[in-house]
Parts: sequence; structure tokens; C-alpha cells
Amino acid sequence: MLDGSDGAVALSVNGLTRRFGGLVAVDNISFDLPARRLNAIIGPNGAGKTTLFNLITGEIRPDAGRVKVHGQDITGLKPHQIVRRGVSRTLQIKSVFTGLTVAENVRAAVMAHEGLVSPFRPASSYGAVNQRVEGLVVQVGLRKQLNTRASALSYGDIALLEIALALANEPKLLLLDEPVCGMGPQETEQTVETIRTISESVDVVLIEHDMEVVFAIADEIIVMAQGALLARGTPAQISSSAEVQEAYLGAPEEAD
Amino acid sequence: MTAVAISRAALILTVAALLAVPTVLPLLGSPFWIDVVAEILIWSLLAASVNLLLGYVGLLSFGQALYFGVGMYGAALSVIHWGAGFWGGLAVGVVAAMIMAAIAGSVAVRLTWHYFAIITVVFSLILYFAAMSAKPITGGDDGISFSVPDVVSLGGLKLSLADQSVQYYTILLVVAGFYGLFSIIVRSPLGVRFMAVRENDRRAALVGINVYVTRYVAFVLAGALAGASGALFAFFGRYASASYMFYHVSGEAVVWAIVGGAGSLLGPLFGTGLLIVFREVISTFWEHYLFVVGAITVLVVMFAPRGLAGAWNDALQVLTRSKDAGTSDTTASSGEQDLAKSTTDATRGGSGA
Repeated sequence: MLDGSDGAVALSVNGLTRRFGGLVAVDNISFDLPARRLNAIIGPNGAGKTTLFNLITGEIRPDAGRVKVHGQDITGLKPHQIVRRGVSRTLQIKSVFTGLTVAENVRAAVMAHEGLVSPFRPASSYGAVNQRVEGLVVQVGLRKQLNTRASALSYGDIALLEIALALANEPKLLLLDEPVCGMGPQETEQTVETIRTISESVDVVLIEHDMEVVFAIADEIIVMAQGALLARGTPAQISSSAEVQEAYLGAPEEAD
Repeated sequence: MTAVAISRAALILTVAALLAVPTVLPLLGSPFWIDVVAEILIWSLLAASVNLLLGYVGLLSFGQALYFGVGMYGAALSVIHWGAGFWGGLAVGVVAAMIMAAIAGSVAVRLTWHYFAIITVVFSLILYFAAMSAKPITGGDDGISFSVPDVVSLGGLKLSLADQSVQYYTILLVVAGFYGLFSIIVRSPLGVRFMAVRENDRRAALVGINVYVTRYVAFVLAGALAGASGALFAFFGRYASASYMFYHVSGEAVVWAIVGGAGSLLGPLFGTGLLIVFREVISTFWEHYLFVVGAITVLVVMFAPRGLAGAWNDALQVLTRSKDAGTSDTTASSGEQDLAKSTTDATRGGSGA
């Protein structure tokens, strides 16, 4: 357990391993991330960060190891079951329901969370759902685009919509995979602000390449390289670590 | 008028026209066409079955004729062996098709796109050959005929399918009932799940939707639509034949659905209507009418990739935009719009049929 937290663990990974043929994408990784902190995972391309997320959310199965979220073992569960246990994520390539409007996107996520499957009642007639949809849309700042089709949104707005979808299950743990990747300065600022606000009530783990963003908002940083855990610490500790400098920050073409 | 109002008016007009068919067509001297319209209504349910899968959950099936055939035999055999009435035979046909779909679907919906398309064909071929060789039960290629029971037999009131008008209205009633159910389902929370899976199955799983179960439910419901179509066709033709289980029939339904517009509730009805009318008109003087069907399909796929329904919606947008300039009109129901992605993907497969 690191300093500053009250001892609660948001995410606990123990001996997690995944091989793809001869490549060990995630190599016997273990760590506990404290709750109520904004944790970031950094590392060069191919370090295994996204594979780690895929293992946590059940999209790929680990060859070995366990994953616990808030003390609850979720290893081996299917993605939709893990979502039901309060783990949400966004993807590096933004992933929303492209042909549906913003409201319909969020409604699908809220209805899935509420476990609504009635084949007879009109979907638009659920008052509580409509309220939550509106609340989430307002929360991420897409109020004006409520009835715009996702395919017509700007890239930054798609990212915000994806965050709204990820919040629909009232997550206890939110995994964000490169949330500001490909955004302009203004969009980045808006998204960072949204993430910061969310992290006040939800435990957030962030994969990010933009060092400025990471050092600005992360409480703690984990550095991965070649599938293994290289270092961890506060932003100050990481930026001064000679090991990290060499493996990661020292390589100029990686440190964009 | 707004686009919604025009669409509603068009729907009312369509229903009125369908209700008027048995009265109006004999006046025009062509009672034969009453049966053609009845046939269009029946086959459109098979196209609707393709549409439920393709347009609402994003699965292209080339095997819906299997459930049509099971519905057909369910109705015919229950009338022949159990003395079932019209409604009983219809129910047996629909339930039998749903059971068949529940069995095949448990395997098929684990796959997507071309793998799914192939396995649906494989299932329908296996059952086609089984039905062809089980001659004592199915009659094979020759099929089995039966005499139709009464639709209603209450005291003095007897309504029989032998009466062309009774038959037509019975078919219209059943078909409208299934479209009504279809419409209710796609607007429900279940329909929301369907569309989420269609749009993005990975994201659907990541918001907590069980993608496999959602596709499975859609597959069984599509089986019910195809089964209803087959059962009605059995009563309409007074016989059942294994030849209707061939994948050629499935392919035709895919073409009807795509020409009409997958992802729109009534599009496939118009697609089926257009192509069957063409067949009836052109086949009387040219046996190679399928060339024309092929040409229409290619033209629709090229110039109206979302089918007749898509072209209709686009036209409405253009027509109403000048009047409603300024008001946001981006909110047409999602069921009716932007299936560009799934439909164009599908048509790539469909045009090969």
C-alpha cells in the first residue's frame, strides 16, 4: 500500500500473465491500486497496457493470475458480467453506437445497466431512465447534441459520449484507454476536466501517452515496459527515476 | 407537413389500400391479383424475418427458408394428423419454427458475418435434404396436400379459406398482427438492445449487454416470423413441400429485404411487393424475368443502398427541409435510419444471391 490512501484497494492484480504465441504481452504482473486516487499507467508502445485492460475487463482471458476489484474476484467472468460488477472502460479507438443519437446511445447503456429487457413497453416510456440519460449527457457536456447522431459528432464529442456510456453502469472503477489521444488542445482540456471531476467520485485508472496530461492529473503512476511493471510512484518520483528515463522518457520518439 | 406526418399518412394509405384490395381489384376485372397481393403479404413476413436479423441485430442469414419450411409442415401436418384448425395449425407452425430456430441458433449466433451466413445455409441444407428424403412424412419434393379447415366456425357462422375474400382478410389480419408485434418489439428495451448489438457489439458487451443472448433471442423471433410466413403459405396453397426449404428461397427473401430496405419495419413489405409484381407481370411474356429482378437489385444497391425505405426517407428529408428550415430534424427514429453501414455490408453478400 502506498502512502496517502486510507488502505482501500480499488484494483488488485496478482500474477497476471498473458501470452500471444511466443510473445508475453503481460508478464506476471502484480500490483494493488489504492482507491480514491487517480492512477495512471504509462509505458512505451507494446508495453502491454491495453492487454492489461483487456484482461481486467474479461475481453481476453489470462493464462495465469487473478484480478480483484474492490476485493471482489472477477477473474474469468465475461465482459458484460464484469460491467455489471461496476467496472467500465473506454477504448483507445473510440467506441460508441455510431448510427444512434447521443440520447439513444446513453439510453442503451442505462437500460442495459438497469437490466431492462421487456419486449413490449416502449423504450421511451421509462421516466427514470430518461432522467438518468439526461443527467449523464449533461455530466459530460453533450446537452446540446442530445439528438445528434453519433456519426455526426466531432472526435472530441465522441470521446465524451463514450465516457457517458462508461458511466451508465455507475462504475466503481473506470478504465480509460488514452482518453485524449488524437484531440486538439481545447478538446484535451475539456476532457481532462471531465476526467478530473469524475475521479472525485469514481476510482479511475488511465492509460495515457500525453505526459503533460498524466503528470497534471495522476496521483500515482505505474510504468510498464515489455509486459512487466518497471516502476511506480508519484509523478515527481517517476519523472526523476533514472530507470524510467532510460526505458521510456529517454527515448525521444516515444515521448510525444 | 413534417416528415413524420407524411410517413404516417403513407402508412394509413397503405393499410386502406390493402383493406380495399378484395373490393377494388374485381371491379378492375382482375380478381387473380387478390391472390397475388395475399402472396406478397405472406412472403413479406419471410423478408421481415431476414430484416429482423439483418436490419436490427446485424446478422445476415441465408437460411430463413428452413424456418419457413418448418412452419409450413407444422401447419400442414397438424391439420392432417391432429385435425388442427386454422389457428391451431398456425400456432403449431410458428412454435415448431421457433423450436427449430432455438436449436440452430444456439450454434449459429456464436458466429458473425460470413461465418454466420454460411452456418445458416448449412443448417437449411441439412434439413432440406433430410426433408427431401423423409418422403413418407413430408412428401419430399411433391409435398403433401390437405384440405383447409374453417377459419371461424361458431354456431351458424362459418368462414372458410375457400372464399377468396375470407382468405385474403385472414392473411391480412395475421400478417398485420405480426408486423404490429415486430413494431412493438423494436421500440422496446429489447429492441434497444438489438440496435446496440447491431451498431457495435464490443461496446454493447462493455455496457453490460449479453451479446450472445441478445442475438439468440432475435434469431428465435426471426424464426417465428419465418414460421408464420410458412404456415400461412401452407394454408394459402393447401400443401407443404420440402422444396420451399431450399436456400434459393432464403436468398430471395434476402433480396426482398435489401431492396425494400433492411432496418425499416415496412421496407421489406414494399421490396417483396415490387419484386413479386415484377415477377407476375414480366413472367407472363418472358420466362427470364429473373434478369429484371437482378437488374432492379443491382440498381437499388448502387443508387439506394438503404433500399426503397431509405430512398423514401431521404426524399422526405429533402421535401420537408425547405419548409422546416431551421428546426432540427435529426431525430427520426433510429430504427428507420442510418443503416448505411450494416445494409451496405449486407448487400455485398446479398447481391451474390
